[in-house]
Amino acid sequence: MGRSNAISLGALEQREFRRLLAVSVLAHVLLALFLGFSPGSEVVMPQGTIAVELVSLPSASPAPAAVPKAARPAPPPPPEPKQVVLPKETAPPKPEPKLEPKPVAPPKPKAEPPAEPATERDYSDVLSELRAEVGDEAPTPAPAQTASIGSPTGSPVSPEFLAWERRARIHIRQNWVVPPSFRNEPLRTSILVELDAGGAILGEPRIVKRSGNPWYDDGVVRSIQKASPLPPPPEAGEWSFVFVADEGY
Amino acid sequence: MRRARWFAQLALLVLAGASRAGAEDRPSVVIDPGQARSYGVAVQRFADDSASAGARRADAFREQIVRGLEYSSVFRSIDAKAFLGPATTVSLDEAESVVCSDWSSIGADALVEGTLRTDTSQLVVEFRAWDSTRCTKLLRKRYTQPAQADVASLARRIADDIVAAFIGVRGVSATEIAFVSNRSGNQEISVMNADGSNARAATANRSINTFPSWSPSGESILYTSFRYANRPLLFVSTRGHGKPGRVLSRLGDRAGVYRGVFAPTGPKLAVAMSAGEAAEIFSVSLDGKDLKRLTNNRAIDVSPTWSPDASHIAFVSDRSGSPQIYVMNADGGDQRRLTFQGSYNSNPAWSPDGRWIAYETRLEGQFDIWLIDPTGSTNVPLVSHPRSDEGPSWAPNARKLAFSSTRRGRADIYVIDLSGDNLLRLTENAGDNTNPSWGPFPR
Repeated sequence: MGRSNAISLGALEQREFRRLLAVSVLAHVLLALFLGFSPGSEVVMPQGTIAVELVSLPSASPAPAAVPKAARPAPPPPPEPKQVVLPKETAPPKPEPKLEPKPVAPPKPKAEPPAEPATERDYSDVLSELRAEVGDEAPTPAPAQTASIGSPTGSPVSPEFLAWERRARIHIRQNWVVPPSFRNEPLRTSILVELDAGGAILGEPRIVKRSGNPWYDDGVVRSIQKASPLPPPPEAGEWSFVFVADEGY
Repeated sequence: MRRARWFAQLALLVLAGASRAGAEDRPSVVIDPGQARSYGVAVQRFADDSASAGARRADAFREQIVRGLEYSSVFRSIDAKAFLGPATTVSLDEAESVVCSDWSSIGADALVEGTLRTDTSQLVVEFRAWDSTRCTKLLRKRYTQPAQADVASLARRIADDIVAAFIGVRGVSATEIAFVSNRSGNQEISVMNADGSNARAATANRSINTFPSWSPSGESILYTSFRYANRPLLFVSTRGHGKPGRVLSRLGDRAGVYRGVFAPTGPKLAVAMSAGEAAEIFSVSLDGKDLKRLTNNRAIDVSPTWSPDASHIAFVSDRSGSPQIYVMNADGGDQRRLTFQGSYNSNPAWSPDGRWIAYETRLEGQFDIWLIDPTGSTNVPLVSHPRSDEGPSWAPNARKLAFSSTRRGRADIYVIDLSGDNLLRLTENAGDNTNPSWGPFPR
């Protein structure tokens, strides 16, 4: 069965080859006549090359016609019109409907959309962080910021804490590697760290709330250890840090 | 009863309040990621017992590990000239202590050390990966392979292991990408390493070959070829077998089979095949049995892609008047339209983690690559460029995608992180390189 198939297919191929050969020879003869050469001087060798061109050129190749309702409309001419030849299967035969207006693109090509638009606050954050970094006292924080930090007891947050918090955040961020696969994921790890008055970490950081991803938790511990010593805190003692992978937390 | 419950709740609240105030009466510092950073990694030259191979084998091995680690976008390699500790592994003896501060002080979050040993006709490679900040060993592993087998791919495998030890997701530097190239003058299937190295031809039949699709084992590539009778038919090329095999020959030659894709879970295919006037999606086993028609209408249904558990198939249909992405159950049931934005959406690719379907969408005459989740609730751009970006294919870890782009003029294969970062061009030869198909993890 397979053998007879192979034979008949071989015959088909041979027939096709002969057809191409005939086209090729004819073309050469015509060319030679046109250029005034005697037909006898024609060399058969370049057939192969010609056959290759036939396959790769849209007009000469029989193949693309066999592609289902083929080839999507050619993209406007990036240098090589040959590209069009690729047998694209997905195009329908009918004329393309007119393009709709460009879909409204989400702000950035991220895998997930930002959970909440926090752009304005982010900018003020960046500014105050930069000021904090150069030692410039940041302006009184916006109420929204105070609210976002909060205190477990609901008591007002001291300006000393806010100034330190900004410095600590910048410092820790510089030591925290968040691989692309963790970014924008709903990962959140809380740790407690004992700091001395100079900001050095005493003992082991303690994870009080895991993210559910042990590699993410490991990265958090790694980053806080790398960050030691932190900027000197308002007072020595145990401090709590929450690491969130999703910037729109 | 109700009062008792009320008291219990009050007591719980008081207790919770008391414990929280007792543990810490201070606000938390919230840290978010900020700008992208990578882990510094110090890769030692592995100690090599083979005098004949000398330093060259160990140097080449180190270089491949470094390449593999950096390909992950997770690590950046630290120049060996900056090492305070030994540049070549002294010993993997557990009693031998690693001076972690030597490594952490030069910015190395990770240290990789290892040995290469030729044992009769076997190459034995053993390595350890350290978290030098916390001074803990994350991984120790040994690989044994025939001495003459490819050493570079083993080195990249080790790199991928180290990535997994750090982030829980295996790297893909040891995987391969099949693609269509016309650099020879014909449209043939080629295969290259995931970083673009070692590109080689997989077909050479001087016909038109396209739409490569890997088998789940990575041993075979299924593709569409016009080699017989100028009809699109499916073939499969298998490693170590010179001659490609015809697939679905029992269906005869008359029907064109435009494209086939392996199911991720077994030797089953989804194929786009002519049925009367239209193209329809079928499922069929590799030997041509159990043919089942899944779509049945006058529209064109093509480009099937399986969900990772093979329970669903996404595909393209123009039944609404324009090509759009649809999803159906693997038995053809519950067909629903997924994309409603844009007038031309095609070439869907379901991510191996099941979370996304990447596809190409036409905007202003050119194609961009977008991601939509299988429920259709999130639809976001991944690759946008004034020139065309087409044919997305997922890395097996679902963290990178390959696609073809005409941004340099002719089409080339690129890879990009799911985050949209780290765009890397893989092909640079003349000709057009299109239709990438990312292979599975090596076995």
